[in-house]
Amino acid sequence: MIEQEVTLRVESVSKHYGDFTAVENLSFNVRAGRVFGFLGPNGAGKTTTIRMIVGINFPDEGKIELFGSRISSDLQNRIGYLPEERGLYKKMKIVDQLRYFAALKNVSQAEADRRIDFWLERMRLSEWKSKKTTDLSKGMQQKIQFISTVLHNPDLLILDEPFSGLDPINVEFLKEVIAELKAQSKTIIFSTHLMETAEQLCDDILLINKSRKVVSGSLREVKASFGRNLIALRAVGGEAVLEDKNLVAKITDHADEKHLVLAEHADAQILLKSLIENGALIDKFERIEPSLNDIFIAKIKGI
Amino acid sequence: MRKFLSVVKHEYKKIVLKWSFLLATLLFPLLAAAFAVVPALIFSIKGEATRIIVADQTGKIASRVRENLSSEKMAVKASEAQKDALKNLNASQEEQMKRSAEQMGVSFNFVEYVADGKSVEQLKRELNTKITEKEIDAYLIVPANYESSDAKFEFFSRKAGDFVANSSLEKAINSAVRSQRLADADISEDKLKDLSRNVDLSVKKVSEEGDEKDDEGSFAAGVIIGLMIYITLLIYGQQIMSAVVEEKETRIAEILFSSAKPFELMMGKLVGVGLAGLTQLAIWVVSALVLVGVGIAQMSAAGINITIPDITALTIIYFFIFFLLGFFIYATIYALIGSMVTNVQEGGQFAMFPVFILIIGFYLSFAVIRDPNSNVSFWVSIAPFFAPIVMPVRILAETPPFWQIALAILLNSLAIAGLVWLAARVYRVGMLMYGKRATIPEVWKWIRQS
Repeated sequence: MIEQEVTLRVESVSKHYGDFTAVENLSFNVRAGRVFGFLGPNGAGKTTTIRMIVGINFPDEGKIELFGSRISSDLQNRIGYLPEERGLYKKMKIVDQLRYFAALKNVSQAEADRRIDFWLERMRLSEWKSKKTTDLSKGMQQKIQFISTVLHNPDLLILDEPFSGLDPINVEFLKEVIAELKAQSKTIIFSTHLMETAEQLCDDILLINKSRKVVSGSLREVKASFGRNLIALRAVGGEAVLEDKNLVAKITDHADEKHLVLAEHADAQILLKSLIENGALIDKFERIEPSLNDIFIAKIKGI
Repeated sequence: MRKFLSVVKHEYKKIVLKWSFLLATLLFPLLAAAFAVVPALIFSIKGEATRIIVADQTGKIASRVRENLSSEKMAVKASEAQKDALKNLNASQEEQMKRSAEQMGVSFNFVEYVADGKSVEQLKRELNTKITEKEIDAYLIVPANYESSDAKFEFFSRKAGDFVANSSLEKAINSAVRSQRLADADISEDKLKDLSRNVDLSVKKVSEEGDEKDDEGSFAAGVIIGLMIYITLLIYGQQIMSAVVEEKETRIAEILFSSAKPFELMMGKLVGVGLAGLTQLAIWVVSALVLVGVGIAQMSAAGINITIPDITALTIIYFFIFFLLGFFIYATIYALIGSMVTNVQEGGQFAMFPVFILIIGFYLSFAVIRDPNSNVSFWVSIAPFFAPIVMPVRILAETPPFWQIALAILLNSLAIAGLVWLAARVYRVGMLMYGKRATIPEVWKWIRQS
């Protein structure tokens, strides 16, 4: 792998709340200009880790380095954080809220006004500029929150479930915007439960469960390391062969085809051969990669 | 520092640029004026004239009662009562009630009736019929033995609850009988007036410097000052709490905390809202000074001399200093509460405590006005939590030595430092706790851990 500049370095970080361990000995790097998928079930310690990165909380052990130094007020100005649980001031004009959030990131008022106009235009919300939050639909509010995250032109974006509450059209739209930001060589940490979305967007992933790291690496590497023992099959007949536990460990139905997990030491060639010998009419027989969803479920459930 | 100022600016504008701020700023003086004027207005609504028969078998009392209740006499009495009320602002509640009752005109319409030669029973029977037939509203039976000590005057009325009319009538009868008794004893009315004239007692206060000073009016001013501080602290404390709860409830806190230090955010909020409160108070003080000035000018034009406590520039500066001390004490408590609870309703329950302390402070200021130099006044006016209300009132009643004022400022500043230290610790953790209210042991743990 080519050595790339590292935006964020998390080294042996632990965080405890009383007897409860939120994060345990977690280490990972986020490389500059990549989309980093930060995955894990609820309560795995994602939010705690993110809060430590943005400087809301501090680790009990280990250290976190952002752009080569420890988090500080100046560094906070270079982060755009979209929390999972988020909101806006209910009775304040959109433009006033955005100005305030920009001011808190040390953006001058003139510059903020210019960018607010740009982003409202980009999000097709210009006519809502002087409206109050309560006048906006939920989806519009989500987009305003996204604007507040990118308004100060941050180098690192941390997006926690950015698509929740958005309709499919706006999801696609936001994905485009994220792709644009990536093209501007911004580093993006992307936290989600939606494995399909993660698969589409992420270059690298980190999966944590019960406060510990489970899997990490580039999406390619993770998938490759998960083995190539998955087969998609569309066929008529041959049921007896599929029930042979020496060949097939597990079958799942996917629409009009079946996904087969090969038994240990079983060979795909032998499986294909015995299917044909047993008179199965085969439409499709394909070695496939595991989806991120499969990996997620397998790793979390420990299968 | 730049972020802190952004927060201050944001919080200040958020309050001051609202219609409700403008409305409250204008409405409070109006409301205060209304409270002073409305009761007088209500009492001044005249009831219908009471049709009355004075059944006087002696023929001596009726004419005197009539004269005493004539409209000219009533008018003179009413205006005297009015002057009295203005002079003695510190009269007891009861006296004030009576006086305002006298200010209202009560009118009687005398119906002719010949009572001679009828027994008391006969009179009652006849007159009761007149009442039931609504020919008259009331009648008074003057006993023949009016001069004896067990003479019994009897008054019957359809409107027995009209205490104003009753008290006027009682006075009129008393004075009529007294005049008649005097006349019987050959003492003239003028002679009696001369003998029973009130002494002219003018209450003056000797200040520390030994000057004489008129004391009238300082009670009213003290109450107004106390009330103004009390209300402002309450309103702005609640403002702080709901602003904090909003940021917590909407999860804006998470975004804010990732942009600036929690301490900067909390202090920025306190200072911003504090400045808004100061703005409002300054408007009120200026308008109060103008109103009082105009009022005095008008009253002296009307020939009524009242003195107001001398309010110097220093008094006003002290007033603002103590307002700010009070603001930071109570606002910090409210911010602390806001960061512990999950919604405004829950906050309201906790907010009982500061409100309770504020109310005690407000009532203590009455004790201080009555005796500004007692031990109680001293301790209460330097004590944290109470001093912000009590000390300005005490300064107005009688300026204590400077060291006491300085001590009050010092003690309350220390209290603020302690409270801010405490609140900052709770705020940092509490603002990111969603879903449930923090318990006291939890809060205690946050304070110790950070």
